Amino acid sequence: MDAIATILPTFLAAEPAGAHAPGAQVGSGPPWAILIPLLPLLASALCGVCAMLRVKSKAPAFIVVAMLGASFLATAAVWLQGGGPGPMAGASVAHGWDWIQFAWGDGPGQALIANFSLYLDSLTLLWMLFVTGLATLIALYASEYMSHDVGQGYNRFFAYFALFVFAMSCLVMGDNLLMLFLGWEGVGLCSYLLIGYFYKKPSAVAAAKKAFIVNRIGDLGLVLGVFTTFVTFGTIEYAPLFEMVGAGVDGSGHALHGSWQATWIPIFFMIGAFGKSAQLPLYVWLPDAMEGPTPVSALIHAATMVTAGVYLIARMYPIFLLDDAHTALTIVAWTGALTALLAATIGMAQFDIKRIMAYSTVSQLGYMFAGLGVLTTTGAAFHVFTHAFFKATLFLCCGAVMHGFAGQLDLRKLSGVAFMKGWGVVGVAMLVGCLNLAGFPFTAGYFSKDMILAETFVTPGSVIGGASMVGWILLLTAGLTAYYTFRVFFRVFVGPQMYEPGEEHGHAPHRHDHGPGHPPGHGEHDLADARDQAQKDEPGGAHPHGHDFHPHAPGLAINAVLAILAVASVLAALTYFIHKPDHGWVGAMVHHSTAHFGGLDAHHGDEAAHASHGSFLGLDPHKAMYYVSAVIGMVGIFVAWLLHYRGRTGAAVAPADRLLGALGPIPRWAQQKWFVDELYDFVIVKPLWALSNVFHVIDKLIVDGLVNLAGLTPRGLGAGLRPSQNGLLHSYAAGMAGGIVFILLVVWAVS
Amino acid sequence: MTEKLAILHPEIALFITTCVVMIVGLSRSVGARRASAWITAAGTLTALGLALRSPEGFGLLPGMLAYAKAMIAGVGFLLLLVMAGAVDRGYEARLLRGETFDPIRATRGEFYAFFLFSLMGVMLCAGADDLIWLFLALELVSLPTYIMVAISSSRLRAQEAAVKYFFLGAMGAATFLYGFALLYGAAGTTSLSGIATTFAASGIGPLAYAGLILSILGVCFKIAAVPMHFYTADVYEGAATPVSAYLAFAPKTAGFLALMLIVSTVGWHDGGLPEPVRVTLWVIAALTMTVGNVLATLQTSVKRILAYSSVAHSGYMLVGLIAGPGDGGVFQNGLAAILFYLLCYGVMNVGAFAALTCIERGQNPDDPNDLETLDDLKGLCATRPLVGWAMVLSVLSLLGMPVLLGFFAKLLLFSSGIAAGEIVLVVVLGLNSAIAAFYYLRIISSAMFETPDARRDGGRLTPMRGRVLACVVSGAAVLVLPLLFGPLQRASSRAVSTGQSAAIGERPGGTQAASPEAGR
Repeated sequence: MDAIATILPTFLAAEPAGAHAPGAQVGSGPPWAILIPLLPLLASALCGVCAMLRVKSKAPAFIVVAMLGASFLATAAVWLQGGGPGPMAGASVAHGWDWIQFAWGDGPGQALIANFSLYLDSLTLLWMLFVTGLATLIALYASEYMSHDVGQGYNRFFAYFALFVFAMSCLVMGDNLLMLFLGWEGVGLCSYLLIGYFYKKPSAVAAAKKAFIVNRIGDLGLVLGVFTTFVTFGTIEYAPLFEMVGAGVDGSGHALHGSWQATWIPIFFMIGAFGKSAQLPLYVWLPDAMEGPTPVSALIHAATMVTAGVYLIARMYPIFLLDDAHTALTIVAWTGALTALLAATIGMAQFDIKRIMAYSTVSQLGYMFAGLGVLTTTGAAFHVFTHAFFKATLFLCCGAVMHGFAGQLDLRKLSGVAFMKGWGVVGVAMLVGCLNLAGFPFTAGYFSKDMILAETFVTPGSVIGGASMVGWILLLTAGLTAYYTFRVFFRVFVGPQMYEPGEEHGHAPHRHDHGPGHPPGHGEHDLADARDQAQKDEPGGAHPHGHDFHPHAPGLAINAVLAILAVASVLAALTYFIHKPDHGWVGAMVHHSTAHFGGLDAHHGDEAAHASHGSFLGLDPHKAMYYVSAVIGMVGIFVAWLLHYRGRTGAAVAPADRLLGALGPIPRWAQQKWFVDELYDFVIVKPLWALSNVFHVIDKLIVDGLVNLAGLTPRGLGAGLRPSQNGLLHSYAAGMAGGIVFILLVVWAVS
Repeated sequence: MTEKLAILHPEIALFITTCVVMIVGLSRSVGARRASAWITAAGTLTALGLALRSPEGFGLLPGMLAYAKAMIAGVGFLLLLVMAGAVDRGYEARLLRGETFDPIRATRGEFYAFFLFSLMGVMLCAGADDLIWLFLALELVSLPTYIMVAISSSRLRAQEAAVKYFFLGAMGAATFLYGFALLYGAAGTTSLSGIATTFAASGIGPLAYAGLILSILGVCFKIAAVPMHFYTADVYEGAATPVSAYLAFAPKTAGFLALMLIVSTVGWHDGGLPEPVRVTLWVIAALTMTVGNVLATLQTSVKRILAYSSVAHSGYMLVGLIAGPGDGGVFQNGLAAILFYLLCYGVMNVGAFAALTCIERGQNPDDPNDLETLDDLKGLCATRPLVGWAMVLSVLSLLGMPVLLGFFAKLLLFSSGIAAGEIVLVVVLGLNSAIAAFYYLRIISSAMFETPDARRDGGRLTPMRGRVLACVVSGAAVLVLPLLFGPLQRASSRAVSTGQSAAIGERPGGTQAASPEAGR
């Protein structure tokens, strides 16, 4: 914009960026920070051009990788300039250009200002660092993963992919709630487009619609939150907003404590966050979202977009703390814990490894929300950070398996993958990811989960109702998590080597009988498919590979990305030991942002406050939790080893099967996701369907009739005027003269 | 002297280009004749560059020059993309086949020259501070267009349209010339600022009112407003489509610039315009919107639909003229709204008309038989996605669909009308926007949802790729320009800021963003 301003000085004469920077406390950031969102947008546009030119090479992938890489470097540069590698001091606003500026008066709340500006503080940069960094890596991975689509959907895929990063950076970096909303809807749109990427597949289309529609419910909450914020504070720009919130007053100076807004604004935002971050009761779209290509699942539905809800709450944390009763935060904590537990139980009973990862994502998001709820934004953000790396690793490993075994994801049809030729990197990366997810001691996931667990016991029940109960639920969930994580690992990656390929182009599991004839030495595979018939979602077809299927091991791009991500997942643990007083580097970043108000600060202010901590069975939770959660994690892994590895000779059967009889129908119910989808269908979809039929009749009979009647009026009027347009020169001239006289008469009569 | 000339730099550039083009267009060399289009383009762009650097003018709306002239040159360039190569196609083809060149028969150079003359006239309107200057400028806009209509196509109906346009135009010109004469008689000066001073000092007598109203009515011919609208559909339909596109923008812009200047002489004081002027404009605005829209609903020819919609859009813009600059706030400023609307209308109008010219079905190069009726448009999005979608976007924008350019333009008119207290008129405006949706959506549904007739010749893409470019650029601009809403709107506000409301260009509530305390 500034460049244009120099070219067209008189015409546009945009004021210098500094003139717009709000307030004394918030300085102006580097204007080139605007490149961070704009580079992905440019990449998306270039992919669109590629699509128009029908490019049949991998060019779009390289464009996107290069642009996203540049965007990551720009983020890093902003960070380093602003105070990195530590946290930035305070916040700054980088003004892009004026966007929306409506004013209908000079008083407070009589102007709606939403500029295309970026709010740069530590929280923003923390998010953007891993969003752009992971996006670059995953785009690189996708360049190989999507290679079967070169020339067809390849351009489209990368256009959406880059557009997603643009939207995500608007969401995270915008300096006002309208930009956040733009990004929020933008990531929703990209998510919809990418879930439905295989648009010829009915299940993918249905999943895309489901994601979109369920998210709308959450968005309603967000929109209400934005509206109420504007009505209450008279602004949606962060800088003035947080200043007012800091002083505890609304736009006209009234104290907010105890007002209805202090309770309801957080609840509205919370509903929005629940939708985007797949929390109860709106989590149902996320497992289905796995219909999208795996890189998308890794980036959007595991690492970045689904953490937008966590970001929203962390960003708006000062508003959440306004409510002295902490209503919203208590709901957040409990919802998080229950979601974590429910998703973990479903995850334990699934057979599709990508779906297991999806449920684990829902479950881990539950941890993050519980963390936010029990006043540890640091713990939540730290878990977001570590989770982003290890969950991306896990998904990409699943993707590599899927890519190599022609879409096979059923853990009963794969075994010993890590020991096959060329699959070493995948195996190691998977192990690293699983250890993290299971909370194995000294992994990144262990530290971040600990922080949340400990804080649930630290936070007194008088502040957040039932915080320690939340802690117990989460501890139980931690054990379940370790179990189902290593169930996947022990079944698929170690043990006797055998496999059965999936449907070639299927990107969701298609479970079919393939008959015998696989290369010798791979053991038997007359796998019982009877059980699977229940979840079969597409009719069978001839297997394209016939008799000589060879899994193709991942190539350089996939292996390189997996290696980098595995190393990053390990190294993420080290950040816990930097800035120790702030509970790690992430903690330091959070402390220097708007999310710093609550949690640790409030309770660690002084020793007296420390003494009033809650306790874990009489011990200091911070110290005890290191041991407790380590033990729980290892017990979970041990159970998985016992039930799914020891003595297993085939892919399909495991010692665990012996337990099935004892548990009765419970595993089957869990596998059917506790029938939540069916419940929603019965309680919400069916009644709506009936109601809409009623309205349809009303619409047809009454509304259409009125509309048609109204539509006739202008047509009748026109038909009356039509003769005046007879094409004759003299009659036109007469008409003009008559018209002049008519108007003169009207004026004469009126005045 | 040279300083005063600085305000005319864009016009001078156009004039020099005109001379060059007229000579080059008569050259025996095909290359030279073809170059005339490029020279015209270069001249228009030069004028655009010079216009952006225009200094403050003099007169009643001195700040307007840069914005108005840049807009005129910019949209003019888009229109040139549509028009380039339209004239003499058959003749040039025969020359290529060996016919000897006869300068008398070649009209290509003249066509560009007339285009440039006309564009120059529009620009001159923006800088006028004298009735005589204004009259000459308005006629400089129109006289070339009569000929452009006539030579734009070899079809007989183009000649018919030109004749109608000329005679009725003469009648319109006579009307406002009479009005100007009465104004001179009432105020004793031809200078617009002089008239304004006289009116402010000694009031406005009946003679002056008669002059004002006749001037307004006469200029209504240029903007195709009721009761001077009768020619519109016939002329737009008769002329070749590129020229119709030009007619929908250039005379309308000139007319609105002239109206803004004429009405500025009486000024919008505390209670708005003086009652007779307000009533005149009010009646014209309400009638124009309604007549334009209801007649458009009955048409099957897209060109006629767009012609009547052009009438309706003039009615919308008149609301801004009644509202006037308000108290200087960006959303109260009707004049700024008109300037912004003219720019938006120019862009989306080019998009819609250019799309029609992109497909040709005839074999005769002088009569390309481009898209005309709703039936011709069927399935355009499927068969020619680029053109089809650009058209759909432009038409949606004309309709005022939110997020697209036309929405923001209309929003400003609404807000200025409401701020001025013209609630009834704004309701009429809203109702008319709804009626307009009817025929715009018919265009869109033809292009998007219907399948083309199997018997019908699907046509081929025009060899003149400038048209496709103009169409696509306009379609894209409709999407992209809303992002620049703030700066563009500020530029238009600054353009009409006068001494009494110097703060117009200021950012609304800027203080609030700068210091949150101010918001409490």
